[in-house]
Amino acid sequence: MNSDEKLVSDALSGSVSAFTEIVERYSERLLRFLLTRCRTRADAEDALQDTFANAYRYLNTFNPKWRFSTWIYRIAIRNAVRSAPQGVMVEVSSDLEDQAADPLRDCIRASDRENLWLTARDLLSADAYSAMWLRYAEDLPVREVAGALDRSTSWTKVTLMRARNVLEQEMSRTIPKEREHYG
Amino acid sequence: MDELERQLKQDAGEIEATVSPQLRARIEASLYAARDSKPVKAVERPSSSLWWMSSLTGLVAALLVIAFFNLNRDDAGQAPGSDNFAETTPTQVERPFAETFPLETRPAVLTSPLEKELDDLQSDLEKVRENVEEDMRLAF
Repeated sequence: MNSDEKLVSDALSGSVSAFTEIVERYSERLLRFLLTRCRTRADAEDALQDTFANAYRYLNTFNPKWRFSTWIYRIAIRNAVRSAPQGVMVEVSSDLEDQAADPLRDCIRASDRENLWLTARDLLSADAYSAMWLRYAEDLPVREVAGALDRSTSWTKVTLMRARNVLEQEMSRTIPKEREHYG
Repeated sequence: MDELERQLKQDAGEIEATVSPQLRARIEASLYAARDSKPVKAVERPSSSLWWMSSLTGLVAALLVIAFFNLNRDDAGQAPGSDNFAETTPTQVERPFAETFPLETRPAVLTSPLEKELDDLQSDLEKVRENVEEDMRLAF
């Protein structure tokens, strides 16, 4: 399988199939991320479409010192921010009716516990959430996460540590309840 | 990998994000439009050899200009029109000429015609500007 960088190089040389393979490779990953950052599924799909169009249009500005995934996530984050004014994360209402319209909640398979990303979205800022996603869902190194968010490495490390603490506290608070419930 | 990381990864995988055929078609259409509007093209950075060649050319040209002016100065001496003529005249004049015509010039005397020249130039420029404005007014 060709590396991302090889595909980018081929695409820059005029290979349409190379960029098509990039689209295939990143469509679901980016959509999964955008669903967590946009108000509706339609917004997420629009942001995905814009992300690929912008990536294709400005492919010649890609700097190979970064991973391609870092670069394309950076574009996706900008498009997500545009779809959510002032870069504010989608506030999830506790009303059941509103939850039905929540694109992320709709896309999560039924489980016996709350998906941790839903919890993270409620508790973390937009940037902290993105940092957590890129680090733990995408397995990007801290340096690449910082690059995608246009932040310093130290900011990213501190943000990840604080976000982890918040989620671990939440987990420790909810898990005993579940055990009590099922026990 | 600790418990939190494992759970985050597992929960991320539980988010279904299937790209529908309609969305795929939309993406392809937008890429097609982007391709038409601005074709992907690698940035053509000038090669290092070109940079060196242009630098060397510039350097050689600069050296030639300096050499040319130095040779001319050696041949003709200090040009009367140079800027520091007034300040350097007493010491630059060759001895026999200085003995024949003892020159004691003052900068004020020599700068005065230059100021007049400057005034004349400004006046000429102003006239040209007025003429151009008049022509433009007539043309449009």
